[in-house]
Amino acid sequence: MGENVRRSHALVWLYVGFVLLFIYLPLFPPLIFSVVTGETGAPAFTLSRYAEMWRNPVLTDAIVTSLEVGAIVAVIAPLLGLAAAMAIRELQTPRLILSLVLLPLFIPGVSAGLATALFFHLVGVPPSLVAIAIVQAVWALPFATIVILVAMTTFDPVYLEAAWMSGADRLRAFIDVELPLIRPGILGAATFSLILSFNETVRTAAVQGGYNTVQTYIWATYKQIGLSPTLYALMGLLIVLTLILVAGFLLVGARRRTG
Amino acid sequence: MVRSIVLRAFLLLPIAFVAAFLLAPLGLTIAVSFWQRIGLSVRPAFVFASYLTFFDSVRFEVLTRSLLVSIEATVLSLFVSYPIAYFLAFKARPDATRLALLLFTTPFLVNYVIRAFAWTYLLGRTGPINTLLTSAGIVSRPLDWLLYSDFSVLVGLISSYMPFMIFPIWLSLAGIDRALIQASWLLGASPSRTFFSVTLPLSLPGVFAAAIFCFVSSFGESAIPVIMGGVGYQLMGNTITSAMDVLNYPLAAAMSTVVVLAMTVLLMGWYLLFDMQSFLGKILNWRA
Repeated sequence: MGENVRRSHALVWLYVGFVLLFIYLPLFPPLIFSVVTGETGAPAFTLSRYAEMWRNPVLTDAIVTSLEVGAIVAVIAPLLGLAAAMAIRELQTPRLILSLVLLPLFIPGVSAGLATALFFHLVGVPPSLVAIAIVQAVWALPFATIVILVAMTTFDPVYLEAAWMSGADRLRAFIDVELPLIRPGILGAATFSLILSFNETVRTAAVQGGYNTVQTYIWATYKQIGLSPTLYALMGLLIVLTLILVAGFLLVGARRRTG
Repeated sequence: MVRSIVLRAFLLLPIAFVAAFLLAPLGLTIAVSFWQRIGLSVRPAFVFASYLTFFDSVRFEVLTRSLLVSIEATVLSLFVSYPIAYFLAFKARPDATRLALLLFTTPFLVNYVIRAFAWTYLLGRTGPINTLLTSAGIVSRPLDWLLYSDFSVLVGLISSYMPFMIFPIWLSLAGIDRALIQASWLLGASPSRTFFSVTLPLSLPGVFAAAIFCFVSSFGESAIPVIMGGVGYQLMGNTITSAMDVLNYPLAAAMSTVVVLAMTVLLMGWYLLFDMQSFLGKILNWRA
């Protein structure tokens, strides 16, 4: 590699690093403000906000709601994503199916939230964990589908044909042959859906009713009284949880490549 | 027989799900935008009152400002993300590409609302950026326009949506047949000529998909203007939320319909211009 090429590559990596700094920088202030105390005197380290969080029933309720909604989304979205990915391969209209499934990406949160809130109201669906989970699952569906589609490209359909020729019907062949091979993709889609559920505010706020997730609690409290160390601790919790889940997603992917 | 019906029903589930919980609600929103508002209650009707309220008042300024801010955010995000996608598609090693794409995805997954809160500290009068600028002697006193301005709203929008734009652009660049680029070189075209008449046109499906994503998301964004725009900073998104807060659902529905209409027109244009298979072929095993 010539000296010039190497220098220009270094410049580009510098640029990439600068953009990465720009998008990573905002992850740090909430983490720092959640553990720093003593604005007047010398700053000191404390984990008290994280400990106090569990003694506030409003907050524990919100945390439990987030976990419950997240669990439902992490089941619904990958299942629908799997069905969509299979439908794209099996049915005659792959473009139409893919367009419909990717559509939620292009609908702004407030429009999706308002539309679903009006719809639930008119159809008579009261606010519930399932209603919140449905709104979030629509949002997670495009991501879940793409993750599973990518996993499916590593699978050679010739295995399915072999199973059909051995007398298995389509369902049997799928469950016995393809499903075990694309399971990491489904797990990845579930992780992705869980992350998206934990990090959703605008759509959830439109249909939350009397329920609060951690995100809607942060948003509502911010609008009423502004930011506080407790809110920073909640944000810190979500940032750490998201990073852990991303790491889990990677481990699943790494196992797929080596396994 | 039963099994194949079960399988078929399963395959149709996602379409039914999107139809029931996205298409039907959006259709209903259009209907409600024509409904009549009497006092605090809403009654089915076919009147244009909400659209007239929207286009006739200061809210129209909200529309023009939203359009301007969204276009600025989209163009700037394209300028930031295209070189990265280009470098990853053509210059970087595959493992470095994978790592970089992953590094760009991770912060995108953390709620942009949380990241916007962080920006208000970073860009504030006493925040680290102003402190750095003043202590380095670059400015004599803290810059006021860093926060609660068009500038900060753009920073919020770009950091929210730009990381995800790298993917479609990278996907379309990585799918370009290298033989076409080599042919251009062999025919004596300069690198810049090759880029502008071969590489760039072939990457347009990804560029436009990314641009539509950023534009529509920014156009309907409701949290960033509240957090980073300051008191009274109105874009379409938070104006819709304000209308919802005072239970003026027809007005909220009318404004939301304008946003969704813009999205529909843009996506239709994309379908007319580009072929989905050439763009997403890499991740799809189409039945030919």
